[in-house]
Amino acid sequence: MNVAATSHTWGIVWRLAWRNLWRNYRRTLIMLSAIAIGSWAMIVMISFMRGMVDDMINNSVQHFLGHVQIHNPHYRDDPSIVNRMPPLPDQARQFLDQPPWRWSQRIRVPAVISSERESLGVELMGIVPEGEMTLSSLPKQISSGHFLNSADSDGIVIGARLARRLQTELGKRVVIMSQDPDNNIADRGFPIVGIYTASMESLEERYAFIGLHTAQRLLNVGNSLSEVEIQGPDFRHVDNLYETLQQLLPGRDVAPWYRLDTYLGTMLGVMDGFVLVWIVVIFLALSFGLVNTLVMAVYERVREIGLIMALGMRPAAIMQQILLETLLLLLLGLLLGNLLVLLTVIPLHDGIELTSVAEGMEMFGATPRLYPVLYAKDWCLANGLVIVLGLLAGLLPAYRASRYDPVRALSKH
Amino acid sequence: MGLELTLAWRNLWRHARRTWLTVGAMVFSNILLVFLISFQFGTYQLMIDNTLSLFTGHIQIQKPGYHQEPRLRDTLNDIQPLAQSMRAQVQGAEFSARAMGFALASSETRSYGVQVVGVQPESEAIVSSLPGLVTRGRYLQDDDTQAVVIGETLARNLKIQPGDELTLLGSGWDGSFAADILTVVGIFSVGVADLERLMIQMPLPRFQETFSLGNRGHSVVAKVNNFEAIPATVNRIQNLTASGLDHNKPLAVLDWNQLQPGLKQAIQTDMASSWFMYGILVILVAFSVMNTQLMSVLERTREFGIVLSLGLRAGRLSKLVMLETALMAGLGMVIGIALGVALTAVLTHTGFTYPGLEEMSQKFNLPGRMYPQLSPLSIILGPAIIFLGSLLAALYPALRVHWLKPVEAMGAV
Amino acid sequence: MAENKRVDNKLIDDNVVKTNVSENSAVDCKNLCKVFVQGDARITALDHVSLTIPKGDFVCLSGPSGSGKTTLLNAIGGLDTPDSGEVRIAGQRIDQLGKAAMADMRLHNIGFVFQAYNLIPVLSARENVEFVMQVQGVSMAERRQKTQDILSEVGLDGMEDRRPHQLSGGQQQRVAVARAIVSRPALVLADEPTANLDSVSMEHLMDLFVELNQNHRITFVIATHDQRVMAYARRQIHMQDGKIVSDERR
Repeated sequence: MNVAATSHTWGIVWRLAWRNLWRNYRRTLIMLSAIAIGSWAMIVMISFMRGMVDDMINNSVQHFLGHVQIHNPHYRDDPSIVNRMPPLPDQARQFLDQPPWRWSQRIRVPAVISSERESLGVELMGIVPEGEMTLSSLPKQISSGHFLNSADSDGIVIGARLARRLQTELGKRVVIMSQDPDNNIADRGFPIVGIYTASMESLEERYAFIGLHTAQRLLNVGNSLSEVEIQGPDFRHVDNLYETLQQLLPGRDVAPWYRLDTYLGTMLGVMDGFVLVWIVVIFLALSFGLVNTLVMAVYERVREIGLIMALGMRPAAIMQQILLETLLLLLLGLLLGNLLVLLTVIPLHDGIELTSVAEGMEMFGATPRLYPVLYAKDWCLANGLVIVLGLLAGLLPAYRASRYDPVRALSKH
Repeated sequence: MGLELTLAWRNLWRHARRTWLTVGAMVFSNILLVFLISFQFGTYQLMIDNTLSLFTGHIQIQKPGYHQEPRLRDTLNDIQPLAQSMRAQVQGAEFSARAMGFALASSETRSYGVQVVGVQPESEAIVSSLPGLVTRGRYLQDDDTQAVVIGETLARNLKIQPGDELTLLGSGWDGSFAADILTVVGIFSVGVADLERLMIQMPLPRFQETFSLGNRGHSVVAKVNNFEAIPATVNRIQNLTASGLDHNKPLAVLDWNQLQPGLKQAIQTDMASSWFMYGILVILVAFSVMNTQLMSVLERTREFGIVLSLGLRAGRLSKLVMLETALMAGLGMVIGIALGVALTAVLTHTGFTYPGLEEMSQKFNLPGRMYPQLSPLSIILGPAIIFLGSLLAALYPALRVHWLKPVEAMGAV
Repeated sequence: MAENKRVDNKLIDDNVVKTNVSENSAVDCKNLCKVFVQGDARITALDHVSLTIPKGDFVCLSGPSGSGKTTLLNAIGGLDTPDSGEVRIAGQRIDQLGKAAMADMRLHNIGFVFQAYNLIPVLSARENVEFVMQVQGVSMAERRQKTQDILSEVGLDGMEDRRPHQLSGGQQQRVAVARAIVSRPALVLADEPTANLDSVSMEHLMDLFVELNQNHRITFVIATHDQRVMAYARRQIHMQDGKIVSDERR
């Protein structure tokens, strides 16, 4: 009955709500600005935080984390050549050779690198150049010389900072020293054929690349591997890949990136929490002003509400009117806020350069360039939550207005 | 003044609900700011302390250029006497000499490249916290000759226990072959992956012997008793080392920020995003105040008109509006600080945590449970800004009084 | 309760309501009592008042302030419920209805004209008149036509789009009257409709009331203490201390 009797009152409810909204336009404009700034801050802050975390993850993914890695079950605890594994069985290879997967295999062991002047520790990466190029960024960032041209290459590629610390340069020889499975020292000289640079300085002294087959011969391990890395289209959706590989490869350690790097894995979860908390905090700060505005809006037209009720408008329709007014205020504010977001995010599309705090960003694990990244789910959450919570905040003033006694309301003032 | 104060106070309570809602917005923001700023200050100091005390120290004396690219050859002569003379001449700071090199460390079954640090065990225990974090066995002592302590992860990777032997293989200061056999006396666990995986410490004299350093070393580390005294201490050391300790070249005296630039930058980055959030809260409160005070001025147009026509200056009315705002903001500040301090005080005792905090804080050498630190500054800073922001926001409504015309104002309903 | 439900159900359907309007008496009150408590004082606003007003009547309620005439008017109009007694409008018992049902009853059966603040400030004269019909669900075309007719009947041609603050007091009251009668209610209740008007406007308004009463057979009940207004009435009821002390027909 309620619905039947009130559905045709929508037109007049609309008109009253809209016109009342602009009756005290100063107050409405102040409130609209507050909602706009609040929602702008919500979404922009979230998009930069998301951008930073995404950047951290993508960055690590391209620095030998990948989306999923396969190891000998003991390798992660004890990354020695002792804990190596045979090449992948055919079934797994066939699966991984299909798009969208990209994968490559490595020898990855700690080693000592020495020039005539200095010795330092590095992670020795025996890689297959064609595969590695599709996965990792360092092989593409060669500042002088060239990257390895085959898995049988005799050369070595090191980072610029490592070259400086070793006081060596392109074309000179360095000696690599590691252990073979029997704990005998395995060493061999390599000419430096290429030098890479990295966005984070610490990476430049961490990795030294040689050919996979060269590494296997050096360490005397036949065709064994330390690690297989796989990447798919998106780091957010790796569980299917991970589970499939787990089934295909019993007895091996198959792990997704978020378990390989728990800091990054946690960051993703913490971000989701932060997004929610930040939205709610901003909303609460807004809500006081919102409730205040609505209470005032109702208070100053008590007589009018009394009149409308005396003329026969139902209490439910009065409530609709106040809630509609709230909704209009929220929607207009959000519209302005989202416009501001576009005006902020689009010009900053290429990111903000934060070179002055580059080492600080590195401590977080991020590069010095900060990009805003707007997730659809964050956008919906921010706007949706503001609307839902805003309407909830409007419920009390609206309910009170609908409970007015028309006789008393009319005789007010 | 007494009368005006009474008048302003009474005016506030003409719309008690509106006043409380505005005060509520202030209280909410003040509680949040007191807590967050106390939390932040506590975290930053802890982050600095934990990071520096572990190994870096507050100040280091090195050969210029060594910090940028540490090389075994970039040494200081007479390192122990240098440390000794610093101890004698600089008040309020502790000093310890170190030498650092790189070697391949081998147990019976494994070999890893490690960072070897030669330390003066007893003074090292005063300048850094690592000696206190030995979980198995013991730390080095001054009369140890062939002892070594190693990190937890390295011990696991090398598969050795206290009492086992460790062989070092590297190159000495003069390019000669450096080798030594040491006994593991202790294993430290410090919560920083790189240190636990890569660092070993041995007595300085033995180190100098093994690496053919003679009486040379790489740095003198200082820890000051009072963090604020760091700049003064740096100056004092610079004067002492420049004027005479028979060194030909001036020495590099680096403070913690030069030694770990990432630390301060990480804090700055975090500060920037925090202040953005605080700024938004302040702006939202300011809008709330502006709205309330504008309403209160507009609804008193008639009243103000009468007073103006009696000959009162508009300036007095503006002052009244500002006084009302100040009272309201003062109320918000008092209640906000009271509740904020109460909440934070409880948390300084119980501490708090949230899912993911532990993983994240490890990256910054922080514990998994956080304890905010209340200080006069952390308590007053946020609420003071909210107070000022509120007064600023009330300027527009207060100045509007000036463009009231008595006759028109009286005609307004 | 059962009776309430019956009334509710009938109100859904306009046709049912209109058949009820055709009954003989527009208003039927029995033994109405209402006491207001104000601090320690108990004010008896209605003291066993019984009253029947036939359809098409033109009644003036008079009496000093506090005599109970506004309370009686509110009870008849369904704005207020009596402590005891019965109120029937066009044969329907209304004193026990819930808020929503009461609102519907007012919407379909009663037109109001108040002393002041009669119009919704954000709506134009036309929209104010259309308001009741719009809530009733009358179609747009019908609404437009009726509004145009009634506004010219009350002499407001050309002022349709003015907002209330652009109209004089007398014009505002005419809009209120137009709104009160446009949907042909059983009954128009007016509480001191002339209190804020000069004598020319007062005469115009009262002439309009009489004319509408005669042309459309709309029942009017007007509470007033203005002697000039009483002169227009066919029946004059005088109240004092919550009782009807005289009821004269001319």
